[in-house]
Amino acid sequence: MTKFHFGLVHAPLTPFVNGKIDFETFDKAIDFHIAQGAEGLAIPTHAGESVSLPVAERKALLERAITKAAGRVPVIANVSEAGTGIAVDLAQHAKAAGAAAVMASVPYYWTPPDSMLIEHFAAIAEAASLPTYLYNSPHEMNNVKIKTPVVMALITKSSHIAGLIDVSMDWQFMIEVIADASRVKPDFQLVAGTEYMISAHATGATGFLAPTAIVAPQLMKKLYEHVCKEKYKEAHDLQVDAAFLYRLFDKHGAAGLKVGAKLMARDCGQARPPLPIMDGVVVDEIAHELTKVKALATEKRGW
Amino acid sequence: MSLVLKGVMQSPITPLKEDFSPDLATFEKMVDFHVRTGATAISWPHHKGESHNLTISERKAMAEVAIKTVNKRVPISIHVSALALEDTYELARHAQKSGADAIIAITPYFWKYPLESIYNHFVNLGTTFDMPLIAYNSPDYLDGIEFTAELTERLLEKLPNLIGMKDASFNSERFFEILRVALPMRPDFAMIAGVEYLLPSVCLGGKGSYSSAGAICPNLVNNLFAACESGNWKLARELQYKLSQLWHLFRDQYPSSLKGGMQIMGRNVGPTRAPLPTASPERIKHIEKTLAELGILDTEPHGW
Repeated sequence: MTKFHFGLVHAPLTPFVNGKIDFETFDKAIDFHIAQGAEGLAIPTHAGESVSLPVAERKALLERAITKAAGRVPVIANVSEAGTGIAVDLAQHAKAAGAAAVMASVPYYWTPPDSMLIEHFAAIAEAASLPTYLYNSPHEMNNVKIKTPVVMALITKSSHIAGLIDVSMDWQFMIEVIADASRVKPDFQLVAGTEYMISAHATGATGFLAPTAIVAPQLMKKLYEHVCKEKYKEAHDLQVDAAFLYRLFDKHGAAGLKVGAKLMARDCGQARPPLPIMDGVVVDEIAHELTKVKALATEKRGW
Repeated sequence: MSLVLKGVMQSPITPLKEDFSPDLATFEKMVDFHVRTGATAISWPHHKGESHNLTISERKAMAEVAIKTVNKRVPISIHVSALALEDTYELARHAQKSGADAIIAITPYFWKYPLESIYNHFVNLGTTFDMPLIAYNSPDYLDGIEFTAELTERLLEKLPNLIGMKDASFNSERFFEILRVALPMRPDFAMIAGVEYLLPSVCLGGKGSYSSAGAICPNLVNNLFAACESGNWKLARELQYKLSQLWHLFRDQYPSSLKGGMQIMGRNVGPTRAPLPTASPERIKHIEKTLAELGILDTEPHGW
């Protein structure tokens, strides 16, 4: 298997016009992210409203991203699904469409025991036959965790398991999983799934997924460059801004992130139901909060 | 109020005799061992010291022994958390009278209460006792009852003697949020990791940690802090990965496995009080194997 390095990955939003995917704006977004320093693109993540897209749309969106990126940066397909069969179908498609890697969360809604998680992820890795990243996000997933023994079992079972994307921010887990996994598989990668890059990099993370890069791509790039050089102290102020953005959009979700994008003159329309229409007071609140982020003063407006 | 917390601080185990009564002679040796092996401060009795399984009079008697044994070589704080807040106040009064340098207190146990109740409790504690106060945050064990950044900010405004926080969330977001609001208000405020997760906390601006493994391998924990302080992150990662293995070994039925491990290092501290089990001979064998694999047996002090 060719070695895949995760690096700094952006998670483009999925623009909608009248409820349909706005591919023209999506193209602009792909160019924007690449121009602003993305080393890879994850399509479609939760920020990209993956769970609100039918399978056909997910496939179309992935194909479009790969075509538009045209080899400039790798595209990682998010194949998270509730049903293993559907996730496997997405994984097969990702491979055929030319994705460089896949990522998958624990199955939605079900609260499967560890043995079922192992079967689920192993089937996805097998179908993708691409570097496969496990997405651990317990607070979004009814507290279902991908525990270290599950990761260890998967490494043994499939050579495609490339790493784990962590959203838990739990030091006990992050350090345990990267220490144990890298002992067995030295190129196993820990990826930070949130913007807390300093502590993640210190613990051994080498990849970073930055959903708020649509609002502040240069902030993410600078923070990433600092932590890669282990300039943790110097990165403190950047981390303050990045943590603020993470928390703001963790509170307001994917719909809120679209408001943030629009405030930066990168309009991606409204989020699909059941996410709320965001206007009036909420928009004012997000706009007000964004004034507290120093780094935004130097970020580009528009595409 | 000039106490500044920094480095790896040790919270001693509580040695017990075979009949489960406090072993004061060994306790003196334990406290002295920590001071001699580089503890930058002592704090007792944390949960590691079986605080919940000791009577209030035992806690007071042993606090006196600890304070006397430390003998001002390093600062000592007394953990005053108890199920009933009346006991907390009694322990704090006693700590102050006995010459402790600070008190440390967790958010009250068991009850579900609003943030305002935490605020009121800590304001009362911090204004009643004119001595440095350390807050103790343990959201996972207390079902989400925790210090938020906003609450910490309000407490800092009100309490000039709130000098730091022991944080057992072990979570980047929670740790950094509190630090983010506290540092601009009080640059000496010490965010302290609950046990030695120094790698992810010092890089964020944390000042040190309390310690789980210091009774077993003081050199390892001190070397980890030194590596973080000097920015030798590669070495720090290597040492932290080792300590992670030890923490996962010891946290199971904490602190009985730790007490079991101390036997291997020639520092017998006796059994663990119920409901916690005492480490079985099989368990101790398993611990010994891990300590050998990690090279602890050859690089750390044996005996007192």
